[in-house]
Amino acid sequence: MAVVERIEHLEELWLERPGVLGWLTTVDHKRIGILYFWTTIVFFAAGGTEALLMRTQLAQADARVLSPETYDQLMTMHGVTMIFFFIIPMTTGAFGNYLVPLMIGARDMAFPRLNALSFWLFAGSGIFMYSSFLIGEAPNAGWFDYVPLALRQYNGGLNVDFYALGLIFNGAASTIGALNLIVTIFKLRAPGMSWNRMPLFCFALLAASLSLIFALPALTADCIFLELQRKLGFHFFDVAHGGDPLLWQHLFWLFGHPEVYIIVLPAFGIATSIIPTFARRRMVAFPLVAMAELLVAFIGFGVWAHHMFATGISTATLVFFAAASMMVVVPSTIQVYAWLMTVNLGTPDFRAPLMFIGGFIIFFVIGGLSGIMFAAVPVDQATTDTYFVVAHFHFIIFGAAVFPLLGGIYYWFPKVTGRMYDERLARWSFWLTFVGTSLTFFPMHIVGLLGMTRRVYTYRHGLGWDAYNLVETIGGFVLAAGLLLIAFNIVRSLRAGELAGRDPFHGGTLEWTVPSPPPHYNFAVIPTVTSAYPNWDARAREADLRRLERGELVLDGGHETPATTVNDAQVTEILEMPPESPWPIVLALAVTISAFFLLTEHYATAAGFLTLAVLTLAGWHAQEPGEA
Amino acid sequence: MTTATLPVRAAHPKGWWGAVIFVATEATLFGTLVGTYVYLRFHNAHWPPPGVPKPPLLTPTLLTAALLLTSIPMYIASRAAGAGRRETAWRATTAAFAVQLVYLVWQLHDYVHTIDVYDPQQSAWASIFVTLLGADHLHVLVGVLLSAWFVVRISSRLTRYRIVGLQSTAFYWHAVNVITLVVLVVQLSTHL
Repeated sequence: MAVVERIEHLEELWLERPGVLGWLTTVDHKRIGILYFWTTIVFFAAGGTEALLMRTQLAQADARVLSPETYDQLMTMHGVTMIFFFIIPMTTGAFGNYLVPLMIGARDMAFPRLNALSFWLFAGSGIFMYSSFLIGEAPNAGWFDYVPLALRQYNGGLNVDFYALGLIFNGAASTIGALNLIVTIFKLRAPGMSWNRMPLFCFALLAASLSLIFALPALTADCIFLELQRKLGFHFFDVAHGGDPLLWQHLFWLFGHPEVYIIVLPAFGIATSIIPTFARRRMVAFPLVAMAELLVAFIGFGVWAHHMFATGISTATLVFFAAASMMVVVPSTIQVYAWLMTVNLGTPDFRAPLMFIGGFIIFFVIGGLSGIMFAAVPVDQATTDTYFVVAHFHFIIFGAAVFPLLGGIYYWFPKVTGRMYDERLARWSFWLTFVGTSLTFFPMHIVGLLGMTRRVYTYRHGLGWDAYNLVETIGGFVLAAGLLLIAFNIVRSLRAGELAGRDPFHGGTLEWTVPSPPPHYNFAVIPTVTSAYPNWDARAREADLRRLERGELVLDGGHETPATTVNDAQVTEILEMPPESPWPIVLALAVTISAFFLLTEHYATAAGFLTLAVLTLAGWHAQEPGEA
Repeated sequence: MTTATLPVRAAHPKGWWGAVIFVATEATLFGTLVGTYVYLRFHNAHWPPPGVPKPPLLTPTLLTAALLLTSIPMYIASRAAGAGRRETAWRATTAAFAVQLVYLVWQLHDYVHTIDVYDPQQSAWASIFVTLLGADHLHVLVGVLLSAWFVVRISSRLTRYRIVGLQSTAFYWHAVNVITLVVLVVQLSTHL
């Protein structure tokens, strides 16, 4: 069989149904990644709008743009949205889904139908959470939802119930996604891709996914306790019946601090993809960076109580968590130096993606320096609940997590769409977002030290905060303009961009070896890997072509991809992957409806829909891969 | 497909790894529940509160012992399926399923009584105790449904998909049995 015929045969085998139905039943990791991308962009727009409304309210003293109740809801939903409905699903869902199989030389994720389920559950949880606005009862107790404020006697509406049920639901989606990424990385790496040859991006996604697996149960348990207390009168958090309000905080931050690394680790992974490409050399200290990524995730589990230094916990606890918090600096700094040295030792080409990474490093260092300050207990106690904290975590969450995402969007846009973005507009968008971010968040340090507390919906004139707040609001709108320019660039380039070709930037990883956009089957021949930057390994790629001609490892007997050993990636079996399936979306729909009935305390009906979900699983597993 | 030139090695399938990761997250959930139990215990001078009888010992211990023993037929089923011995796998799974089902029905019956005696609306102790037991029973229910599924599915033939599914279910059962043992220890700890 000739090469062309082999490729045509693969096209036929992997082609999915066209149209809307095709998107609803897809199990292709690339289409699911795109679904994640656009869905999270919608949530990002919602979270951004909430932020701009808050900033408009705070632009002047004694403003009356928003009522206190509305402000509370917008503030809570801004945090919840950006963390649970934008950054995590964007990094693990969109970037992870689309790129990990391509980077490791696989034809799909380990569990394609679970992958679709993860997306539809996520979409369902987002619809569930945002439907709260329709009845004017959006979550309103802050993104960390502290008790006793969140208990029924102080918060009688459905606001907190939307929060708790929505996050349990969202957590299930994230857990499934993380499980899938871990097993994909463990078992589906191309032959020869031993750990030391795996892209650093995949190490970062692996570290973030492991963190999700071990961190989310704490949040889930916390939300279950809260709902049991609110809905059924259990007692976990009230002292009068033997409970403890600090239990909420311990469990929340046991999840919440690893969460910070869950957010930034994929961003580190994006940086370690972009920097070598544009510096035109391999990452400096490759194994150290890989270990540092895993170490950050590990240490992240031992620092949660530094969010609770002002709660009156014992001195011994304070000292332990302060020391543990300082330890995080070590693996973080290893990475910063490795990024800088790679740029320094290479011949950097400062195109838009690398500019965003430059911005990221600057913001990460600023946010990191203010972060270390919190490890000093007296500083933490003095600044707790002030805008200084808001400044710190926005430098980390927006500067360090979102900036690489923006750079990553430009970097992989040609791969996903087959077209180039407009470089000039991209540079403008960088400067607008860079200036906007600095103007918005830097003055918050000062105004925080001047005593402005978090979560206030307004403030009195004459406290010395007015000018800073006005600058922050102007910065917010500049930032929004930069983000809109990115959106404009993407949308325009989708149609009008120049054709990108297979490898416009000469990237080092395997996704650049396939056409842009990648075909449904990803690789015409499963690549064999002999280095950490396989696209720069000309001999191995020529060997792939020869194997394609011979029909070796083309795997065109069905939906096939090889499984390999966990450590050294030797082939163990050829897996038959499932075709498109309606069951994931049906199951997610049943769970979403069930969540609404739980919310309104129609427990029997909720149980009915959960039973339907279980029956759906029977239909799902009755259709075995290879039998369709 | 040509893989003849590749060194093919035996290793755990991806489904087994999926079960391992799933069990890891579930074990963390139980760790959180048990941790909460211990945390609240140290915030209360009396545990359980005065006037509340201590949980029963004998029945839960015997039931847990019976459930733990089902790990043996599940192990046999897993090995037999891997070796292509369908009949043995089916018999072992069915035997395990029968015991697991009896355990679940008995425990659910007792659970209704438990909620009556230890009203979770009365104290933090009853709240976490009832939640911990309920979470364990829910995991047993999931295991029973999985066992039932494989009793039906491997009654006619074995496929690669079913073999991996059964092996993953066996792994899940071993984990649930360990979790049930931990929950029993928590229950017994009130007598110390």
